[in-house]
Amino acid sequence: MKRTVDVSIPVGPIHPCWKEPARVKCETKGEFVLSAEVELGYMKKGIERIMRGRPWQEVMFLAERVCGICSVIHNMVFIEALEGISSIPVPERAALLRVIVNELDRMQSHILANFSYCYTIEHETLAMYLLDVREKVMDELERITGARVTCAYIVPGGVRFDLRHEDALRLRANLAAIEDEIIRYTGMFENGPMIALRSKRIGILTKEDAREACAVGPTARASGMPESDRRLYHPTYQKLGFVPVSREEGDNFARIMMRFQEILQSIALIRRCLDTLPEGPVRGGGIPGAGEIAYSGEAPRGELSYFIRTDAAGRIVDIAIQTPSIMNIEACCHYMLKGVASLADVPSTFVSSDPCIACTER
Amino acid sequence: MSLLQRVKNFVRSRSIHVAYVDVGSCNGCDIEVLACLSPRYDIEQYGIYVHNNPREADILLVIGAFTPGWEDKLRSVWDKIPEPKAAIAIGNCPISGCLYNRPHTLIDPPVAKHIPIAAQVPGCPPRPTEILSAVLAVAPVVFKDFEVKKR
Amino acid sequence: MALSLKYYLKEIFRIEWLKKFLFARTAPLGTPTYFRNFPELTGKTCTHALFCMMACPAPGAIEVIKTPEGWQPRIHIGHCIRCGLCVEACPNGVLSSGRILESMFYDNTALSFSFRIDVDTDKCMGCGNCAVACPVNKLIDAQMSFGGRASTDELLLMVSAGKCRAVHVEKCTGCKTCEDNCPNKAISVTRLLEAIHCPEEDL
Repeated sequence: MKRTVDVSIPVGPIHPCWKEPARVKCETKGEFVLSAEVELGYMKKGIERIMRGRPWQEVMFLAERVCGICSVIHNMVFIEALEGISSIPVPERAALLRVIVNELDRMQSHILANFSYCYTIEHETLAMYLLDVREKVMDELERITGARVTCAYIVPGGVRFDLRHEDALRLRANLAAIEDEIIRYTGMFENGPMIALRSKRIGILTKEDAREACAVGPTARASGMPESDRRLYHPTYQKLGFVPVSREEGDNFARIMMRFQEILQSIALIRRCLDTLPEGPVRGGGIPGAGEIAYSGEAPRGELSYFIRTDAAGRIVDIAIQTPSIMNIEACCHYMLKGVASLADVPSTFVSSDPCIACTER
Repeated sequence: MSLLQRVKNFVRSRSIHVAYVDVGSCNGCDIEVLACLSPRYDIEQYGIYVHNNPREADILLVIGAFTPGWEDKLRSVWDKIPEPKAAIAIGNCPISGCLYNRPHTLIDPPVAKHIPIAAQVPGCPPRPTEILSAVLAVAPVVFKDFEVKKR
Repeated sequence: MALSLKYYLKEIFRIEWLKKFLFARTAPLGTPTYFRNFPELTGKTCTHALFCMMACPAPGAIEVIKTPEGWQPRIHIGHCIRCGLCVEACPNGVLSSGRILESMFYDNTALSFSFRIDVDTDKCMGCGNCAVACPVNKLIDAQMSFGGRASTDELLLMVSAGKCRAVHVEKCTGCKTCEDNCPNKAISVTRLLEAIHCPEEDL
């Protein structure tokens, strides 16, 4: 069938709203977007090729640098995969500390995603409020791990640094402050009339489409797929009684609200961890051995899976990483952007699916 | 020094427009540049305005370890910035290639091979305060009496 | 009306407010004590164990250099990623970086190295280059560096029955000299890093 296409408009790779280079080519008819296509390839570094033949202490840092925003989960999934290969036990305190740091990382990543969305729809006040809360979360992350972004916290058989008692108290106190602010900003977002005009019923991803595009993470859960949360299958989260949340609408508004809800959920999870934190060692030791495993975990953007094969000396022979953003970008370009009424909504819809180009291309 | 030059110096010291371009990093430095915008660091009180339009920018923040996809594009971005201009390399990646500078990698560091770099901020990633002080330190050196120096 | 306008103007054009608006600048914030900054020397004596260089994940970030005062690690800024592995791996506490990494002294956590030597018996042709080049062998038996004839069984690497064999692996220091001197790439040394915690042990 022949389509009437007025003009094909490229958005990117350098665009004021996008933090990373990617190009979205929109075929438009007037302002109406008929279809969109994403063009990647500006960030390919070949990390998986570099990782081969290296011991864990080098691959751990490379895995962290697959994605700088959600670095803790990359570290955690890689190390837990190695632990699965050679059945290294993890002390209980270390397992809970991992969850605390991971949830703090998820909080800052979600706040950053919501900040970018608010910045894209030019609601700069809310964006700046959110960025200020993010600094508080980053402080907590830094106080536990000693670094703001690439924390290098999780090692085979445990974690690197213990959580001191006074830091735990301060974490609890600051969590209360963060929760208050997040609840306030959620209200601002939920009841803002201008935000509703730019977000509600725009970029709709239905449940069937989400399933077909294999959407993951908050994008899928905003379309009514709570079972897509990999945290359900993680033993420590199961012990904490984790129950995922979901929404039904599947539009931009639902995706952002989904992230706000998950931030509150993360705060509750950290509180539960702090309540049940036992005394004891934080490192059990253990050297990775030979074997192969496919292991996945829930990154802030969705399911992250590693396939790893190691040799007898614990070096990586083969590694394959599947990051969540590739599925979400696919879902965004082929389902959400199709039929967007105005070209002005293309950047905000793209940002609402929280694309991370660095981990898409690696 | 003419009066016009003095006015230019004053204006340029109070209004620095910054664009950033990511040429293949892990995103860690991107979000540290974004964190500079936050009310805590408040980059705009120094007159620094971050946006992503090279045609309006004075300072280009280069982030990342130069992937092949940027072979000619970075140069063209640099050419679009009006004079006076300066480029600052943020993070280890544009300086040395950081962890990616291994055998079989696709990157081609340092970025100084491709465009002139005025300052470097080491760290993986650098703290927002370090980025902020680098921009503040470079701006007067590059922009003060630009027309006089050019002559 | 006129009064309120005057009141407004007075409120807006307060001198201190204008000064704040035009000239107020806070100095860039400082670095908190718990941040892992670039490692600094503490002044303790370096014993040239080179564990910092072995643990370092960044290429070309740390070197141990001979100075008039003795061996000294040197951090190359621009390559260092501030991970702090060198601080943890150092057995003598030569480096320090922030409060977080001081926790290894009161928590008794450490990164310990062990080494593993693999000889590919299909490739090894028993030339003995590795055993002659090995600096540990030279220390144990000085004769090794001349004739390559062993006088004792306490050696790290030995050639027996036409194949190289690692006899006492626990003596290996992980220098990889044997790997560099092997003409067939038959020998490989792996540096195994283990994160350990021993709270019951006293310092």
